[in-house]
Amino acid sequence: MRRRVVRFILNGEEVEVYVPPAFTLLEVLRDVLHLTGTKDGCSDGDCGACTVLLDGKAVHSCLTIMAQVEGREVTTVEGLAGDGEPDVVQKAYVETGAIQCGYCIPGFIMATKALLTANPSPSEDDILEALRGNLCRCTGYVKIVEAVKKAVEEAGR
Amino acid sequence: MQQFRWVGRPIPRLDALDKAVGRTKYPSDYYMDNMLWGKVLRSKYPHAKILSIDVSKALKHPGVVAVFTHKDIPNNRFGLFHKDRPVLCDDKVRYIGDPVALVAAETPEAAEDAANLIDVRYEPLPVVDDVFKAVEGDGAKVHERGNVARQTRITFGDVEEAFDNAEVIVENTYRTGAQIHAYLETEAGLSYIDEKGRITIVSCGQSPYRDKKEICETLALPEEKVRVIIPPVGGAFGGKDDISVQIFLALITLKTGRPAKMFLSREESTISSTKRHMAYITMKTAADKNGKLLANQTEIILDTGAYEGLGPAVLDVAIENCNGPYKIPNIDIKAKLVYTNNYFASAFRGFGAPQVMFAIESQVDAIAEKLGLDPIEIRLRNVVRRGDYGVFRNKIEGSVGIADALEKARMHELWLRRDDIRKTRHRPWIRQGVGVAAAVKGYTIGALPDKGVVGIELTTDGRFIIKLSSTEIGQGVVAAIAQIAADMLSCHLKNIEIKAADTSQTPDTSVTSASRQLYLAGNALRKASEEMIKKLITAFSIATGEPAYNASVSDGYVVSTSTGRRLSYSEAARILEEKGIGREAFGEYEVPRTTPIPGTLEIPHLFYMYAAAIAHVEVNILTGVVKVKKLVLLPDAGRVINPQTFTGQVEGAAAQGIGYAVLEDAKIEQGILRTINLSTYLIPSIKDAPAMEVIPIETTEDTGPLGAKGVGEIGIIPVAPAVANAIKHATGVRVLEVPITPERLYRRLKEAGQNTPR
Repeated sequence: MRRRVVRFILNGEEVEVYVPPAFTLLEVLRDVLHLTGTKDGCSDGDCGACTVLLDGKAVHSCLTIMAQVEGREVTTVEGLAGDGEPDVVQKAYVETGAIQCGYCIPGFIMATKALLTANPSPSEDDILEALRGNLCRCTGYVKIVEAVKKAVEEAGR
Repeated sequence: MQQFRWVGRPIPRLDALDKAVGRTKYPSDYYMDNMLWGKVLRSKYPHAKILSIDVSKALKHPGVVAVFTHKDIPNNRFGLFHKDRPVLCDDKVRYIGDPVALVAAETPEAAEDAANLIDVRYEPLPVVDDVFKAVEGDGAKVHERGNVARQTRITFGDVEEAFDNAEVIVENTYRTGAQIHAYLETEAGLSYIDEKGRITIVSCGQSPYRDKKEICETLALPEEKVRVIIPPVGGAFGGKDDISVQIFLALITLKTGRPAKMFLSREESTISSTKRHMAYITMKTAADKNGKLLANQTEIILDTGAYEGLGPAVLDVAIENCNGPYKIPNIDIKAKLVYTNNYFASAFRGFGAPQVMFAIESQVDAIAEKLGLDPIEIRLRNVVRRGDYGVFRNKIEGSVGIADALEKARMHELWLRRDDIRKTRHRPWIRQGVGVAAAVKGYTIGALPDKGVVGIELTTDGRFIIKLSSTEIGQGVVAAIAQIAADMLSCHLKNIEIKAADTSQTPDTSVTSASRQLYLAGNALRKASEEMIKKLITAFSIATGEPAYNASVSDGYVVSTSTGRRLSYSEAARILEEKGIGREAFGEYEVPRTTPIPGTLEIPHLFYMYAAAIAHVEVNILTGVVKVKKLVLLPDAGRVINPQTFTGQVEGAAAQGIGYAVLEDAKIEQGILRTINLSTYLIPSIKDAPAMEVIPIETTEDTGPLGAKGVGEIGIIPVAPAVANAIKHATGVRVLEVPITPERLYRRLKEAGQNTPR
């Protein structure tokens, strides 16, 4: 496969990868950079486990090819925690017990982060709408909704 | 109830933060330099003879290092009850997920391309796609031994005589569908040779020791050459109880000496992984005029698909629980486990109980209706209570919370508003209803032998490392064990570290299944803690000269009750080390059991978990779409170790129950699974999940660690019947098949003339 250099900003740092441009961002994060906080649940845009922020907006990294990433800013779950201090969204998921197996959680956290950035005081319907593309098989979502509400509350302080 | 410092508090799980920041390494997250990628070629046909396998083209493909077939497997049959499953198929393929060959290559792309270059010639055989055809059909056999893998009949009392004297008899045939686990992390792992020369498999799983045993047996490897590590797993629910990638990984590393990685695609996972057994259940149930259940005659057929897996035990659980949590004096159960080419069924949360509970709880509701009795009242008149004898004439000595759960359900505002809700019509085409169901399932593995070991190491700085082989599959067992340990060892929770599931470092704590790891590991931990405390006190006596009976442990110190002198755990550790007494303690716990009744493997259990559920549904009679508005769950919880983890477990199980009841429709046509990804096999999304309320019924299980009992599976079991009973309440139509898809319900509503808006 023909490869080329793709440069982008990953969690605040400039990175350069030499990959086929049709590689997905998810493949690059996991299989090339071994940054495994971003999860691969279906590689097909159905589950949301691979959600990352691309210029601040939530995208499925499994459906984002590297050609689209050139020169842009990518944030993964590892990049949310600044200086080792977890983000308010991450803390809220921990404290409400929203994490069981946790494989879906990085995706939920990134989708929540994007929601809160766009809409700091979402209604319950806004929350459900923002997270409808993320699947969780462990929690039944009750505590995930609680986590988002708690994050909203904490972020507003 | 006794109060504890840590147990009973809603403390955030110890492992949650690492998961939230992306630090936790799951089986799919492991990479190594110089590693190969493994890819399995799976069957093209549900049932076919293998005529030849030609791997020559695949071997020449750039990047390919090795291609393996059945010829590379010394002992090519394995299985927990019956060795009927090949590692790589030799004579035949028996379902479309069956593995035929394994490629190891430098990149995942090369492995996949090469797999497609393997030339397998098949002779297609008639597809056994239905249990009835399998038993009575044209003679096509899935296995040489015949298509009935197991059958049995259990009778107590005389059902025929009871039917003659009954006031009411209800007879129905129920069907329940295959359910797919759909854990978010598919099967994955990495293998390598560790510093001691052992083939080390870091993979998904639910039992490191059992997986190791199966690897060693199939590949003819000595036990000391293999090491299995199970890191936190991205969901399992029983679906990782059976072997998936483990033997393949071991084989590649064994033959190439190189690390190897496998990570199944969603489609491959969905096709090849185990499913919940499809069930066909006929039930004839009788009661007297007061609603006292007199007899239940049941025929259960479970479709185990290509292999038995844990099917024989699943059949036992179906048999054991098909009479619900009730005292029924006359029972007659005929049960069969049947091979087909549909899939491969094995363990799934509930393990045979969700199927039969759907049947019996629909039956009891139908009887209540015929007699004009309140559905909760009829259940209360029949439920088993502590000290009663169960249907198998077994004395129920463990804690029993079902009567309390139903009493609480009866007073719940949703139940009290039941008739008002039914009468309320927001739209002419919407019907509302409220239904109830009870549930029971044994936890522990019943009359089968079961024991586990837990170790404790006191570190030189006075902390404890708990070593056990429980697997953290999402349920929170590791955090719960830490919480119990902090109380048992009288220290701060932060001084407890858990080391889990590594056969080279942790003792065998048996398999993580049957809702019993907390019970089993917790009890083994109790014994280990007693040993550890003895050692701490010995150190104290050495240091102070005071007798052991004067000393007890308290918050990180051994303290004399007479002089008040104290010794910190770290000082105790130093003394134990110096005197050569050792800083480790082990506890072994063997789960109490009875002898199985004739015709069964593991019936009865000594310990049962119970629950009641109330469902509020809205049915669109024009489309057949069911919306579950609210679900109230009342599980008999034993002592709740962590209320946050506890409710999370129950809510998650209940959401799977909603999926099972109305949404998750695994379509299998002539042995071909049509729903192979998450856009065709729909699991509940955040928009499908109902409002949920979990009301723990706290009983104390005297034999459990600090009074705790199992809870992992019970949340799913009452949901489908509660939903079906609510649909009946809303529309007057009883549905006898789950999932209750819009198509099915619409057809039933139409047949019953109940689809006219008004």
